[in-house]
Amino acid sequence: MDIVTYEILRNGLYAAAREMKIAMMRTAGSPIVHSGGDASAAVFDSEMQLVAQGNDIPTMLGSAVISTKASVEAIGRDRLRPGDVIISNDVYLGGGNHQPDVQFTRPVFVDGDIIAFVMTRGHWTDIGGQAPGSYTAMTWDIFAEGVRIPPVLLYREDRPVEDVMTLVVQNTRDPSVRLLDIQAQYAGCFVGDRRIAAMARKHGVQALRDAMTRALDHSEQLMRAAIRAIPDGVYEAEDRVEPVAGPAGWPTAEIPIKVKVTKSGDSIHFDYAGTGPQTRGGINCPFSVTCNSTWFTVKAITDVSIPINQGCYRPVSIDAPQGSLVNCAFPASVVAGNTETSPRLIDLLLRALAPAVPERVVGQSNCGAFSGIFGGADPDAVRVRRTGRSFVGMIDPHAGGMGARADKDGVNGIRVYVGNAGSTAVELIEQTSPLTVEEWALVPDTGGAGEFRGGLTSRRLYRVEYEEATFTACGERGIHPPLGQFGGAPGSTFACEIRRGSGDPVRIPAKAGHEIVHRGDRVLMQPAGSGGYGDPRRRERQAILDDLRDGYVTPLALERDYGLASTEAQSLLREADLA
Amino acid sequence: MYRKATARVGIDVGGTFTDVVLVTAEGEVHTAKVPTTPADRVIGAVAGFRRILEISGLPASSVGFIGHGSTMATNMVVEGTGAPSALVTTRGFRDILELRRIARHDRADLYDLSFSNPKPLVPRRHRFEVTERLNHRGEVMLPLDMADLEKVAEEIATSGVQAVAICFLHSFLNPEHERAAAALLSARLPNCFVTASHEINPEMGEYERTSSTVMNAMLGPVCARYIRNLGGGFADAGFNGELLFMTSNGGLAHADLVAARPVLLLESGPAGGVSAALRVCERIGSPDLILGDMGGTTFDVSLVRGARPELRTSSLLHSYTVRAPSIDIDSIGAGGGSIAWIDAGGGVRIGPQSAGADPGPACYGRGGARPTVTDCNLVLGYLDPETFLEGSFRLDLEAAREAIRVHLAEPLGIGIPEAAGTVRAVANALMAQAMRLMTVERGHDPREFTYLCCGGAGPVHAIDLARELEMRRVVVPPAPGLFSAVGMVVADRQVDRQAALERELSGLAESEIEQGFKELEADTRKVLLAGGAEGVDAVLQRRLDCRYAGQPDSISFEFPDQGYAAIRAAFEGAHRRLWNFDKPDQPVIVNNLRVEGRAPTGWRGDLRLAPSGSAPEPWRERAVFAQDGYRRLPVYRRSDLPVGTVLPGPIVIEEQSSSILLGENDTARVDDALNLLIDL
Repeated sequence: MDIVTYEILRNGLYAAAREMKIAMMRTAGSPIVHSGGDASAAVFDSEMQLVAQGNDIPTMLGSAVISTKASVEAIGRDRLRPGDVIISNDVYLGGGNHQPDVQFTRPVFVDGDIIAFVMTRGHWTDIGGQAPGSYTAMTWDIFAEGVRIPPVLLYREDRPVEDVMTLVVQNTRDPSVRLLDIQAQYAGCFVGDRRIAAMARKHGVQALRDAMTRALDHSEQLMRAAIRAIPDGVYEAEDRVEPVAGPAGWPTAEIPIKVKVTKSGDSIHFDYAGTGPQTRGGINCPFSVTCNSTWFTVKAITDVSIPINQGCYRPVSIDAPQGSLVNCAFPASVVAGNTETSPRLIDLLLRALAPAVPERVVGQSNCGAFSGIFGGADPDAVRVRRTGRSFVGMIDPHAGGMGARADKDGVNGIRVYVGNAGSTAVELIEQTSPLTVEEWALVPDTGGAGEFRGGLTSRRLYRVEYEEATFTACGERGIHPPLGQFGGAPGSTFACEIRRGSGDPVRIPAKAGHEIVHRGDRVLMQPAGSGGYGDPRRRERQAILDDLRDGYVTPLALERDYGLASTEAQSLLREADLA
Repeated sequence: MYRKATARVGIDVGGTFTDVVLVTAEGEVHTAKVPTTPADRVIGAVAGFRRILEISGLPASSVGFIGHGSTMATNMVVEGTGAPSALVTTRGFRDILELRRIARHDRADLYDLSFSNPKPLVPRRHRFEVTERLNHRGEVMLPLDMADLEKVAEEIATSGVQAVAICFLHSFLNPEHERAAAALLSARLPNCFVTASHEINPEMGEYERTSSTVMNAMLGPVCARYIRNLGGGFADAGFNGELLFMTSNGGLAHADLVAARPVLLLESGPAGGVSAALRVCERIGSPDLILGDMGGTTFDVSLVRGARPELRTSSLLHSYTVRAPSIDIDSIGAGGGSIAWIDAGGGVRIGPQSAGADPGPACYGRGGARPTVTDCNLVLGYLDPETFLEGSFRLDLEAAREAIRVHLAEPLGIGIPEAAGTVRAVANALMAQAMRLMTVERGHDPREFTYLCCGGAGPVHAIDLARELEMRRVVVPPAPGLFSAVGMVVADRQVDRQAALERELSGLAESEIEQGFKELEADTRKVLLAGGAEGVDAVLQRRLDCRYAGQPDSISFEFPDQGYAAIRAAFEGAHRRLWNFDKPDQPVIVNNLRVEGRAPTGWRGDLRLAPSGSAPEPWRERAVFAQDGYRRLPVYRRSDLPVGTVLPGPIVIEEQSSSILLGENDTARVDDALNLLIDL
């Protein structure tokens, strides 16, 4: 095909994904989808290979490579008709990444043939299960994590399959909001279908098929060239993941995670042998999550300008032992594997690859720290009438530190790696939930020292206005701090505290079951900081002075973290007017 | 006040050039282009004014009006050259400005680990907290601690800042604390520009409100100085008429208003183009236009619907959020100077690198060696090397061919014109996509619009873009390169006001809404007509922002003619148009009341932008490349075409810095305002 048509179609596929995401975000009911943007869209060829995606949530898009194929195969492509939409969330039956991320898959028909598939994926703020928010790591198995939706038809020829819809939404805690989310994801698929079909009619079905094939080959070729530039070799790293804090008798041993990376020519192989077995509690990674973390890392350390599609992943092979933490088997629970263990894998890979691509790796980061999750009845009758919700589930994504880079500091208060959901406005939280946010601030000295400093974390302090609610923390790095690279110091660990009434604060482990909180209690959430890059003694004096003035570091850090002589520290403090 | 018998001047101060137009009382138009002095844009603007007086031969005293637009405010944000500012927030929340929404939506690439996060607009050392707190109903939970505030005032006094932004939580529901804080800080800091969030953006969302207010603070002192110096400069040149400023909403406003709210100036430049487009709408009788402005580095798209500009209430500027009514404009990095390149997999890419104005495209012969979109258009015959800018600037065809041969044709293994044609097609695809997103994202069908092109390079791609989107008509205004400056002359005064409500619709009495609108309207009318338009009939349009309970973002729509009872239906109609569904059982929240005020003070007469020609004859032929090779086509000079000319394609119509290529079945007609109307 001529290059003009190719470029037009290739660009059109990405634009379609972008349009789908916009349609979805602007319709959704959950704040996390709507303003947080925890939603994604992608386009697949007729063989379910991902050919284009939006600039959305990497974890949703990487795992969609596996879940879209699983969805279509489970239904059987011969059964599909124009206007059908398959819903699925299940990790084991549908190749999902975790149960709260619900995928809609729609075939695109032209003249009776399937020429493509489109998918939208959104994080539902409740999918049922053990506790409100469906985000507790202390679960026995997958059944405790919420309703399992195997791939089934949710729309038949653009008409909702009401029985399925009712069954799904009634298994969640806020069915009316779920219906909005469903309409949003349907709208996204509908828009995608219309766009892709229009492209096929205009340029011809065969031209579109050829363009998709070529786009995949094109990205593969670029990726192989980029991999070739990395020095051949074997690179290894090992780390440990903390277990879920459970009741007596629950496993307490840390789980080793291990990788051996073999880079040879234009391909790269990842072997996770030596990683510990799957464990009790929702920190296991299904294979789709492990693939996604691996693919993300490869893309990040090679060439970010390569158009992203499944062709990028062809030079990458992955071995993950069956039944291990990184390729768990039914019925292991998984909810936080996707948000907490997955970034730990990326940190592990960046550590392994640091000698190969020192200029591309970063200090370790906060790793997920997805959320504090509240759920309970809203005691405020006025608000209940206004929001239409008597039960309020509130998932609040938090911001931690992102590690320092080879040439600049890390980033303060941000989501890292495969996650990218935004926070909800404090004013909106207070208007829609029985919570008062008393503080939201960066925390000094939480970014590891280094020639380049790690990014700071932030803390959010809530006052509970529910009469009674569940609170679930779900974070990572409660024990193992994010380490620095090439001599950079580690950042702070995760912290969560509940202060009941006027009692003393009680520390909550990073991954635990839910707590019950009452009106007037205070809950503090503080994700981990991040690691520095390079020897702190090489940090420029001016950079330290600026950090002091801005309160990113405290006076204590000068001698302790940056190894300054006390006279030099005193002189800096005087200059910063802090002496 | 509106001295019909005087001349009007429009000045558009761009980054490289300052464009000036003068319209005499009889509608005769003079134009000038002078270089901008980036260090002090007043210099270029005043020089432009003096130049247009020379050209027109009119004394300064005969000019009764100057409309002025500038990209200055935008550049200050992009370049980080605003005034050093302080921020005062509710205790516990000074980092909102830096934490923003914690996501990376504005990051160019999600897989990039080495991205530079945008620097906070106010460094942390200048972010201060005071004890005070309102709840989500606007009720006082903690009173404002005045002693705290005194301490903060002392710290700010010694910090060296020139401006202070104040933003407290929930202040949009109750401005009492912000007002008290602003009063005290203004008294203690007489040399600082003090601005509070309830004045700038009384609306829910603390990050967005803080960011908008801080931007207003940073721009304040610099814009005030600029406005003063500009007025002084024009006065020194003998001008004693009325000076108005183009604001982001496409209307002009008085100096006092923009000095207090310089955040309204952020889209001041491109808004001029939209104002000019409104007059084109009236003239040609097409109320719905897509306006495409192709310059050296970007292609900007905006919409006019129902002969009114499409506005938005929130924008992302250089990754900083600003909430102020603004023309809805989208920009992509595909301008004439954008560089085309081949990636390692053989794909053709355009931008984001641009050759800019210096060195410029290879054909400028100023050292640019990489091929740009303009080079490709030259090789394909869409531009003429000898007549570019009326021959004042000869383009180097060989340099363009060489750049394309080395960087595109040889790596692709195809001929030079074929390579150039590929780049042109890819550029067209990118621009058409931007136009499609602008319409489709907002629930419109591009086929129902007319395409109005402007900017130096606009006409060169216009017909292909319209065809791609199945639009049926293209309009090329006279002097498309000066379109924004024309807008400064023809624009009306416009002022927008808003007030937060955040109430459930079913619990609101009609009288409450009516009362709210009445107050807003009185305020709007006062500000709109102050300083020169007293006595003019103001046109006030009521609007509402509503959302379904449970949705965070609202939809803005016109207050229904049928009144209060029809609000829900009007909201749901807008919701269906945008999203294809409604939720009749869901409660509706009224977030904001808005009033758009317009005073029809712009030039309404004919504009004789160019002398009407008398000889619709081709003056030469030119080879233009199409799929199967070059063919020679007759070339008409636009300035030769008299009113009423009708010309069938295929032909070339040439003007200052561009040409239009009509296909076999296209017809061009010159209307009585010298617009070129091309039916596809």
